[in-house]
Amino acid sequence: MAQVHLKNVSKSYGALEVVHGINLDIDHNEFVVLVGPSGCGKSTTLRMIAGLESITGGDVLIGENIVNDLPPRDRNISMVFQNYALYPHMTVGENLGFSLKIAGKSQDQIDAAVAEAAAILSLTEYLERKPGALSGGQRQRVAMGRAIVRHPDVFLFDEPLSNLDAKLRAQMRVEIKKLHQKIQTTIVYVTHDQVEAMTLADRIVIMRDGHIEQQGTPLEVFEAPANTFVATFIGSPPMNLLDGIVQQDGTLQLGGGVTLNVPQQYTAKTRPGQKVVLGFRADNLMPCGHSLPMEGESAEIEMTVVLSEPLGTETLLFGALAGQEVQAKMLNPRPVSNGERMMFNLDLTRVHLFDGESQKSLR
Amino acid sequence: MDINLRHRIRARLLKAAQMVTLFIAMSIICIPGLWVVLNSFRPTVEIMAKPPVWIPNELNLDHYRAMFGGVGQGGVPVLQYFTNSLIISITSTLIAILVGMAGGYAFARYRFKGKGAIFIGLMLTRAVPGVALSLPLFIVMARTGLIDTHIGLIIVYVAMNVPFTIWLIDGFFRQVPRELAEAAEIDGCTRWQAFWKVEFPVARAGVASAGIFAFLTSWNEYALASQLTRSTFSKTMPVGLRDFTSEFTINWGGMCALAVLMIIPALILTFLVQKHLIAGLTFGGVKG
Amino acid sequence: MSRLKLPQWFVLLLPAIIILSAVVLIPLLLSLYSSFTPYRLTRPETLYKWIGTFNYEKAITNANFWAAFGRTVLLLTIALNVEMLLGLGLALLVNRVTWGQRGLRTLMMFPMMFSPVLVGFQFKFIFNDNVGLVNNALQSLGFSDVAIPWLVDANLAMFSIIFAEVWTSTSVFAILILAGLFAIPRDPLEAAKVDGCTPWQTFRHITLPYLMPFIYIALAIRSLDVARAYDIVQIMTNGGPARRTELIWTMIGRTGYVDAKMGYANAMGYISIFLAIFFTIYFFKKLNAARTELGMGG
Ligand SMILES: Nc1ncnc2c1ncn2[C@@H]1O[C@H](COP(=O)(O)OP(=O)(O)OP(=O)(O)O)[C@@H](O)[C@H]1O
Ligand SMILES: [Mg+2]
Repeated sequence: MAQVHLKNVSKSYGALEVVHGINLDIDHNEFVVLVGPSGCGKSTTLRMIAGLESITGGDVLIGENIVNDLPPRDRNISMVFQNYALYPHMTVGENLGFSLKIAGKSQDQIDAAVAEAAAILSLTEYLERKPGALSGGQRQRVAMGRAIVRHPDVFLFDEPLSNLDAKLRAQMRVEIKKLHQKIQTTIVYVTHDQVEAMTLADRIVIMRDGHIEQQGTPLEVFEAPANTFVATFIGSPPMNLLDGIVQQDGTLQLGGGVTLNVPQQYTAKTRPGQKVVLGFRADNLMPCGHSLPMEGESAEIEMTVVLSEPLGTETLLFGALAGQEVQAKMLNPRPVSNGERMMFNLDLTRVHLFDGESQKSLR
Repeated sequence: MDINLRHRIRARLLKAAQMVTLFIAMSIICIPGLWVVLNSFRPTVEIMAKPPVWIPNELNLDHYRAMFGGVGQGGVPVLQYFTNSLIISITSTLIAILVGMAGGYAFARYRFKGKGAIFIGLMLTRAVPGVALSLPLFIVMARTGLIDTHIGLIIVYVAMNVPFTIWLIDGFFRQVPRELAEAAEIDGCTRWQAFWKVEFPVARAGVASAGIFAFLTSWNEYALASQLTRSTFSKTMPVGLRDFTSEFTINWGGMCALAVLMIIPALILTFLVQKHLIAGLTFGGVKG
Repeated sequence: MSRLKLPQWFVLLLPAIIILSAVVLIPLLLSLYSSFTPYRLTRPETLYKWIGTFNYEKAITNANFWAAFGRTVLLLTIALNVEMLLGLGLALLVNRVTWGQRGLRTLMMFPMMFSPVLVGFQFKFIFNDNVGLVNNALQSLGFSDVAIPWLVDANLAMFSIIFAEVWTSTSVFAILILAGLFAIPRDPLEAAKVDGCTPWQTFRHITLPYLMPFIYIALAIRSLDVARAYDIVQIMTNGGPARRTELIWTMIGRTGYVDAKMGYANAMGYISIFLAIFFTIYFFKKLNAARTELGMGG
C-alpha cells in the first residue's frame, strides 16, 4: 500500500532550476503518466522519487514517510530504465533474482519468485541466456521482470518503450497495462509519447519546463485542455489553433476575411476586442456530405485542400484557413485532388477558446 | 524525520573522509618529486645538515650553474648527455612510429590466419627483461661495432617501442570506421591515398600519443643504455645520473638538478597527451 | 612477371618483424646457444665449447639463485597486488571528485613519467639513513631518535624497494581503472541501487565486474615491463647488502658484467624471461575471460 506525494519539490543544478516546486499526489494503485516534451524534467522528477537524484527543495513522501534523504534501497521501489540497464555479466535468471539475493532471500525463494516472474512475462526459456543474446523486446521484458520480482510499493518507469519499434511498442503497451491489472501497484510512468500516455494512464500529468501544466484523466485532458500547450500536445493530429479577435457584434474575426460566431458556451466569457485563440480538432472539421450528423451550433467554412492523406477508413485533409495550416478529417472518403475547394462543417459545440495573452482556456 | 537527518549526516561524514584520504594520497604522490625539485635549489651544506634544515635559508642556482658549467667543476657533461638523449629518443620514436603504424594498420584492417598469435608474439618481445636482453645484445653489438654509438641505441629503442606502438595505433585505427576508407576508395582514391587523406587524419591523435609514449620510454630507459653506452659520446641522461655518484659519496644536489632537467620535458609531453593516452590504452585493450 | 606477391598485411608487418628479429630474436637465440657454453667475455674461445645443460644445473642447484628467484616472485606478487588495490582506491576516490578532476588526473600521472633509475635515486635519497627525508621527518617529529637503516636491514630494504616500485606504478593502475570507471554505463549502477544494493554491494556486484577487463589490461601492461623494477633495485641497493635484496635480474647483471660469466648469466636470463612471459600470458588470458564475461569479446 503506498501513495506518493510530492510537496513543492524543486531541483536545481547549480544555479539552474529545472523543476520548479511541483505538487503531485498519487493514490495507491494509481497508474500515473508523466508526459511532456524532451527536457521538461520528467526523468528528473521520477529520479527524485526513486532517490537517484537529491532534491533541492520540498518533500517527497512514499506512504506516510518523508524519504528526502533516504537512499533508493530504503524506499521499496523498483524502476525500469529506458536502456534496460540489465547486468551484462549475469544471466537472465540472475538478473531477475539479483535484488532478492541482495535482500538475503534463500535460494528456494529466489528460484520461485524468478520462475513466477518469468512465467508472467514468458521469459522461461531464456533464463540461462545472457542479456547480450536477447532481442530488444526480450530485454525490455527482463527489465520489467526484474522490477516485479520484488513486489515493491511503487513502480517507476522511465520511457521503457522508446527503444522499441512501433509494432513491439504497441504490443508491450498492452502487456504493461495487463501487468498493472495483475499486480495492482502504484505506477509512475514517464514518456514523451502522448499515445502511450493516453492508453496507459489512469491520470495524465502534463509537464513543461519543470512545471505541471495540467493533470487529469486521459479524457479530461483531451476534452478540456487547460491551455494551448496541452491542446497541441495531447491528441493526434494536434489541435488546430487559429488566432482571432472578438468583435463588438459577438462574432469572431479570424483574419483573411473569415468570420465565425463566438460559440454559445463562450459568449459570456469573452469581451469585445479580446484577442483569443480558437482551437478545434480535425475530427470536428469535416467536409459537407462526409461528416457525422451535427446537432447544435455549427459553421460552414470554405477551404482549399492543399494535400490529402488517405488512411483507409478516413482521409486527412490539409488546407489553409485564415492564413494558417489546418487539418480536417473526411469520413467515407472519396478521392480528393490537390487544390480542390470544398465546403466544411465546423462543429462549434466542440471548439475551444483560449485567451490570446495567457494561452489559458476560457472555459 | 530524524532518519533523514541521520542519512544526511552519514553522507557528509563519508564525503569528508574521502576528501582527507584523497589529500593524503595526493601528498604521497607529489612530495617525493617536489623534494627533489626543492633540493636542486639548495646548497649542499643545507641538504646534508644535521639536524635537518626544514625551512630553506637560501635557494640558489649553484647546482644548475655547475651542471651546465662543463666538466671543469667536477661537473658532468650534461649538455652532451642531453643532446644524446634528445637525438636518440627523437630518431627512435620517429622510426618506431612509422614501423608501428604499418603494423598497427595491418592488425586493425586485415584479417589473416594466426593474427592473435602474431600479436601476442610481438607483445611478448617487450616482456623480455632488459637486463637479460642486454647480455646477448652486448655481444652482438660489440661484434658489429655498434656499441657506444647513437645508431646502436636507436635500433634497440625502436625494437623496444614497436610492440607498444602497434598496440596503441591498432586501437585507434579500429575506432576509425572501415567505411570511411571505403568511401574514399569509391570516390577514386587508391588505398594508399585513402589511408593518408582519410584514415590517418582521423587517427592522428592516437599516433601522436603513441609517439609520446615511445619517446618517454626511450628518454627514461636505463637497463640497456647503461650497458650499451660507454663514453660521453653516447651516454644518455639516465646513465649520466650515475656520474654524480662516486665510490662513497653522492652529489645529491647536482643529481637533483639533472633529475629536474630530465623530468621537465617528460611532464610537458605527458600533460599534452594524457587524454589520448588513456583512450588509446583502453580502446586497444577492451574492444579486443 | 613471375614475381612473388606477398599479402599486403605481411608487407605492412615486415618492418616490425625484421627489427624485432634483429634486436630481440637473434640475440635471444645467441644467448640460448651461449647458455650451453662456459662463455666468458674475457675469453672469446670459450664460446665454442659445448657444455650442455651445465649452466642450468648450476643455477638450479644454487641456493642463492633460488633465493633471488623467490624474492623476485614475492616482490612481483606483493607489488602488483598492492599497486592494483591502491590504484583501484585512488581511481574510485578521484572518480568521486567533481571539481578539479582534470588537475588531479594529471598529478596522478606524475610518478609514471619518472625514469625508473631516477625513482631509484630519489628513494635512495629519501630513505638515506643519514640525510633522507624519512629519517629526518621521523626524528624531527620525535618518533625515533636513531637513524633507521632503511636500505641496510633486509626487511626494511625490501619494504623500501616495494615502496618505490609501488610509488611509480600505482598510477598506471589508477589511470586505467579510472578510464574503466568512466566507461561504465550509469544505468546498471542505478538499477543496482534501486534493487537494494548498498554502496559496497553495488561495487562488488556491478562496478567490479565492469572494471575487471581494465584491471587485467593494467596488469598485462605492467607485466610487459615488470623488469623496469631492475633499474630501481640496481640503484637503491644493487641486490645488497650481502645479497639481502638480490633479485633474479640483479643477479644476472652481476654474473654477466661483473663476473663476466656470460653463459651462466644467459642461462639465468632465460629463466627470468620465462617468468615474465608466464605473467604476461596469464594476464592476457584473464583479460580475454573478463571480456567474454561482459559480452565484449570478438
Ligand atoms: N546533471 C545535469 N546538470 C545540468 N542540467 C541537467 C542535468 N541533468 C538534467 N539536466 C537538465 O534538466 C532538464 C530536465 O532533464 P530531464 O532528463 O528530466 O528531461 P526529460 O523530461 O526526462 O527529457 P527526455 O524526454 O529527453 O528524457 C533538462 O533541461 C536537462 O538539460
Ligand atoms: Mg528522460
